[in-house]
Amino acid sequence: MSLPGANGGRATARHEEMSAARSDAPLAWTAGASALPWALLPASLFGLLVGGLISVPLPWRVSWRWIPALDLHFALYVDGLAAQFLLLITGIGTLVAVYGAGYLAGDRRRWRVFTLLLLFMLAMIGAVSSDHLLLLFVFWELTSVLSFLLVGFDHARESSRKAAQQALLITGTGGLFLLAGIILLAEIGGSYSLRQLIAAAPAIAADARLPAALTLLFIGAFSKSAQFPFHFWLPNAMAAPTPVSAYLHSATLVKLGIYLLARLDAAFSDLPFWEYSLVGVGTLTAVVAAVQTVRERDLKRILAWSTVATLGTLTMLVGLPGHGAALAVAALFFAHALYKAPLFFVAGNLDHGAGTRDIDRLTGMRRHLPWTAVAALLAALSMAGLPLSFGFVAKDAMTLAKVEAGVFALVSHATLFVGSVSVAVAAVAAIHIFWGRDAADRTTHPHEAPLPMLLPPLLLVALAVLFGLRPTLVDPLLGAAAQAIAPSFDPLQVDSSYDAWPVAEASIATLVFGVLIYFGWDRLHALLDRARDLDELGPESWYWRKLKFVHRLAAWLTRRLQHGALPGYLLTLAGAVTLMLLAALLVAGAEAAWPSPAPLPLPVVGCALLIAGGALAAVLVRDHLVLLLVSGLVGYGSALLFLFTGAPDLALTQFAVETVFVVVAATTLRRLRQMPAPLPVAASEARWRPLALLVALAFSLALSALLLLAAGLPFDTQLSDFFAAESLPAAHGRNVVNVIIVDFRALDTLGEIAVVALALVAALPLLRRAGRS
Amino acid sequence: MEALLASAIGVLTACGVFLILRARTFPVLLGLTLLSYAVNLFLFASGRLHLDAPPLIRAGATYTDPLPQALVLTAIVIGFGMTGYLAMLALRALAEAGDDRVDPGKDS
Amino acid sequence: MGPRALLAEIFLRVLHPALLLASLWILLRGHNAPGGGFIGGLLAVAASAAVALTFTAAEARRRLPLPPTPLAALGVLLALLSGLPGVLGGHPFLTHLWFIVPLPVSELPLSTVILFDLGVYLAVWGAVGGFCLSLLAAVEAER
Repeated sequence: MSLPGANGGRATARHEEMSAARSDAPLAWTAGASALPWALLPASLFGLLVGGLISVPLPWRVSWRWIPALDLHFALYVDGLAAQFLLLITGIGTLVAVYGAGYLAGDRRRWRVFTLLLLFMLAMIGAVSSDHLLLLFVFWELTSVLSFLLVGFDHARESSRKAAQQALLITGTGGLFLLAGIILLAEIGGSYSLRQLIAAAPAIAADARLPAALTLLFIGAFSKSAQFPFHFWLPNAMAAPTPVSAYLHSATLVKLGIYLLARLDAAFSDLPFWEYSLVGVGTLTAVVAAVQTVRERDLKRILAWSTVATLGTLTMLVGLPGHGAALAVAALFFAHALYKAPLFFVAGNLDHGAGTRDIDRLTGMRRHLPWTAVAALLAALSMAGLPLSFGFVAKDAMTLAKVEAGVFALVSHATLFVGSVSVAVAAVAAIHIFWGRDAADRTTHPHEAPLPMLLPPLLLVALAVLFGLRPTLVDPLLGAAAQAIAPSFDPLQVDSSYDAWPVAEASIATLVFGVLIYFGWDRLHALLDRARDLDELGPESWYWRKLKFVHRLAAWLTRRLQHGALPGYLLTLAGAVTLMLLAALLVAGAEAAWPSPAPLPLPVVGCALLIAGGALAAVLVRDHLVLLLVSGLVGYGSALLFLFTGAPDLALTQFAVETVFVVVAATTLRRLRQMPAPLPVAASEARWRPLALLVALAFSLALSALLLLAAGLPFDTQLSDFFAAESLPAAHGRNVVNVIIVDFRALDTLGEIAVVALALVAALPLLRRAGRS
Repeated sequence: MEALLASAIGVLTACGVFLILRARTFPVLLGLTLLSYAVNLFLFASGRLHLDAPPLIRAGATYTDPLPQALVLTAIVIGFGMTGYLAMLALRALAEAGDDRVDPGKDS
Repeated sequence: MGPRALLAEIFLRVLHPALLLASLWILLRGHNAPGGGFIGGLLAVAASAAVALTFTAAEARRRLPLPPTPLAALGVLLALLSGLPGVLGGHPFLTHLWFIVPLPVSELPLSTVILFDLGVYLAVWGAVGGFCLSLLAAVEAER
């Protein structure tokens, strides 16, 4: 895209950059213009939201009846926490759409990304505004499926497919645990409404099933928010296009688990189980992720691991008791979205302009990507938590929260370490890449990104700077969110102005350690690389081993079951049904009674003999025509039986069907008889025969026993009595069977005649082509 | 009466299952027909048996349970449709493969 | 005209229409006595099969009111349509309506049920008849 010969003097270089940017511009602008409608929806939603927040006080409630019988309502509820999420989802969604227009300019598949991103945004909006837990679950799973499609966008690459599969398997399986937890929680609390559950929380705190329900919920939330031991899917999901990563991993998808935990924190924050689980897992996740960060050389993966570390910190903060923790969750969540999204954008710009994300090959990019450098620097200030940045406000709140909650020393040291790594990452992203020695690979002609890719990160860092200078601007927002997390929180007590300096001590320690890690990055990297054998013990290698096992199991099962021999299939089927019948008999047999013997009416004895004799003869004869005739005996035997036992309709039907069948089949058989001499019995049949006999006998015994036991049970005549009583007055018919067929159960009959007609439509082409060949 | 019919249905089922495990199409087809008869009788008998009491509303008359009869009536016709479809499938296979084995190519 | 041809003529002219009339009668009496659309339809199939076996499948096909597949489709459509008047009256789909038409001597009950049962009759005639006639036609082609 840039012109050749960009390696001249500084002036020429600048000239080249500009022309490079300009040569991008028309393309980017047309793409930007054509992508405008896609940015319009999130932008207008954002506008509506801001307008609503200004004019209508929170909380907002909407509810539509969905399936009232199941207590299922389309109930939405927006309070401070949800409003904060909604602002970020729609606001960053708008910027991602604008950025994507530049990033994917000229890519024919960009419409797919935009469509999926919009759907994803709507699913996220639904998830954070749902009050009904099942509704929340539906949206939750929608985000899983859509993120699968987004991560696997570049599906021609195997690594993309694997990453998408991994994300779906882990978050999808977690979703199932979440569903189980939701159902159990609703059983305990007596409601699916989040509001009502939170209100009922004190009453159910002592329920013995509560830890189980919470554990299930934890697994769901942890898998979504990439907590240990499910953390490894998130960095792999970086296979997605950069706008997607920026959206999914800064403000939306992975925060959903944190959202749910923060939501339920209002109900369970007093439980020791809640506190210890969240603080423990969150801290562990943050430390593991911080160590992994240092092992990476790809900027996007470095950012991904640092996102996991932040998610761990957020989980830990949700677990901490106290008002300060609630405020810290809200502040860190907001700050993280404001600095992580621009950093992902920066990584995308580097990829776009310099052709690499490898931090070893990216140095001194300031001269080539000046505006990107500004965005990176300001975002990094916030990430490092330096004073006068919004990240500082968040860090301030965090430190106060830890002081208030009185955390263990171990947790305190862990957060210090994680914070230091954050500082180091910020330094890598800003100083190393942009201010280091200019040793860029000249053959790649690094150049600045077009305007649609610069505006979004610059806008976000500008906001972060504004909020950093005037933190009181966001106090109402953070206060409302904190109040949703801790209901007793008074939003008016939030005061982020710079008068609370006792925490500077911790900040200075973090900074010092961070700078040390930054300068020791390469040495740490080499050191940790030597310990990579430990990965074998980690959850990711466990995942891959299990996945291989599933593949092997599926292959084995397929070979065993799908062998291609019809008798084998039927044998499996009949055997399985027999086993189920026998199991049912074992369960029911104890309480059932055999029917008392009764005198045998002669006509029925005759019919039974006809049926049994015909069936036995059918097995013994080998000639096909004789086989047809003796099977006819069974049909006529049934018809006679129907006639004697008060079913004239059935008798007529069976007579007609049997006659037509035997006559037509006999005529058709003549064709088969003109075949060359019948082949000898196949060897496979002889092999099947003993087993077939066994299965046939077991099957029939089970069926007969079942019928006898059923006959011994008292008969429930409720339904029959209804039909008999209503037949004449309601349906004007004396033949109850016919009335059932054409009136009471007419929809069934409609389906049945449609099936018969469709069978003909399906069968005719078979015969037509058979006749031709 | 129930025991008698249950035994007859048992014999019918056993023969039907045995027939569908044969290796040629025509016995398999008839085996399925026998099985569908067995299922129809099973359904019918589960509504209890009464001699000569058709479910027609007449003054002072008793009647048998009409619901299984309605179910079985449609099942008979649907079963016939299925048999017709299978017959055509078998004829097609015969025309293509030249013999009437269920698994052409397995032993040839 | 030889005796065989004469018998054939009688069969086609008298017996086949009589069988079809009987099947219609079975259809119409079905609401109050054993019978109905399924049994009537099967009887009509038997009549068609008899023609096919005595003469040819093509002859039997000519004597159907419509070719088998359209006949079956018409049946399903009639049954479907019979459910709509009830819907227009604000009832659930397939709620049948009754109109008692007074006549000088007696009264004539009319109902969408009759339309439904006629649909069943035609669907069974077309579909099951279609199976039989196609099989027989295939066998004839082989000869």
